[in-house]
Amino acid sequence: MKCIHLFIVIVTVLLASCQTLPVINSPMISADQRNLACPSPFLKEKYQLIHAIEITTAGNVQGAIIGITVADPSTRFVSSAIMTAEGMVLLEAQSGGEKLNILRALPPFDSGDFVINMIDDIKLIFFPPQGLLQQKGNLPDGSTACRWQAQNGDVIDVIASKPEITEIKKYSACGRLKRHIKLTQTAGNAYQSIELQGSGIVNYTLLMTLIEAQPAECELPGKEKLKVKNSEKSRRR
Amino acid sequence: MRADKTLHRYCYVLVCSILLLSLPVSASADSFEQLRKDSANIKTIQARFVQKKFMKILTKPLISEGGFYYVAPDSFRWEYVKPLRSVVVAYKGDTRRYIVSGGKMIEDKTGGMQAMKIVLGEVTGWMSGKFDQNPSFAATLKEGINTQITLTPVGKSMSGMIEKIEITVSKKAAAVKSVKIIENANAYTQIDFTNVEINKGINGSVFQDVE
Repeated sequence: MKCIHLFIVIVTVLLASCQTLPVINSPMISADQRNLACPSPFLKEKYQLIHAIEITTAGNVQGAIIGITVADPSTRFVSSAIMTAEGMVLLEAQSGGEKLNILRALPPFDSGDFVINMIDDIKLIFFPPQGLLQQKGNLPDGSTACRWQAQNGDVIDVIASKPEITEIKKYSACGRLKRHIKLTQTAGNAYQSIELQGSGIVNYTLLMTLIEAQPAECELPGKEKLKVKNSEKSRRR
Repeated sequence: MRADKTLHRYCYVLVCSILLLSLPVSASADSFEQLRKDSANIKTIQARFVQKKFMKILTKPLISEGGFYYVAPDSFRWEYVKPLRSVVVAYKGDTRRYIVSGGKMIEDKTGGMQAMKIVLGEVTGWMSGKFDQNPSFAATLKEGINTQITLTPVGKSMSGMIEKIEITVSKKAAAVKSVKIIENANAYTQIDFTNVEINKGINGSVFQDVE
């Protein structure tokens, strides 16, 4: 009998802790809904991006590192490294399909969960959401928003809140905000400034400032032409 | 936090290598004993540097730039101005690391400068040219167009972190040319020095004002 009571209490607490997702109002006319384009700040081709990353926990800046990411949206392959300004590599890992390959990890970055979460965050920033597109429309403030539901039940909203700002929000199945990403396009590149707020056992904020971005291609003859082409691509993105 | 310790060991290697290798070496230096004699008169060193980080993941090296100041026996400033501004300063037995945040320099509290203090304990030895007497490294010296010193870590403290360090000293200019820190077959850091000045006056504020 005690077990049943305990079960009811636990279920009640869990249900009470679930939160309501923001309402997305779909356009009244179905043609409008069909024509509504979801915000898509995501990579269109394989790219290499280097960011300066400032880490904040509990409101205090803890340190700064350099993050290198190579991401291929066509295969959802990610290769990533983080290192200090002095050039010491703290972590290097690759993820393709279901495989995770940790090439180098110094404690405390050697925890499997840390690397998995980091790769998930990278995919959330740079790749279109996977799963079912559930809704598209507008938030009460007028922002265009699209909502996907991932296979694991997570809900991902992509919101064009201002012309230069796109937000990505990831909620748990019961509506708890797990990640809030804000991409600010200040110099022609959607990844110029990225703010990622993570909520979990430890709340943290990463402020990422773009150092360099270029298509991840081999150096080819006619490098100068390629550079011009790349900078044009960056501007378009 | 092992990463902190490892970072400090790395900084230690970086700073010590640079101190060691920023020593002007006479054109005739052909032994560690000669290097020791050459280093006896070093009171200050200042230089600019360009650091190139080579990794398999990078299509081209990541380039950082900065400056380095040293005043005997134990004050130094190792500063990156780009792409990520950071400063390590040691002055009167106190070592701190700063990073830029919101346009201001703030102290990096995560680092804990214990290892940098160990560095300072070693600096005197390095500056005396006693780099072949550090039990952490095996040192070899090779003469050619340039003098090349190779330091290979001994023991496990650097294992998996640094394979070896190569220091190239220009005989012609009688000054250090570069330091190469090889982590493994796929990653190394090359630091090239320019504007190396020996025994030129350095204002004490360089070690106190990080802005």
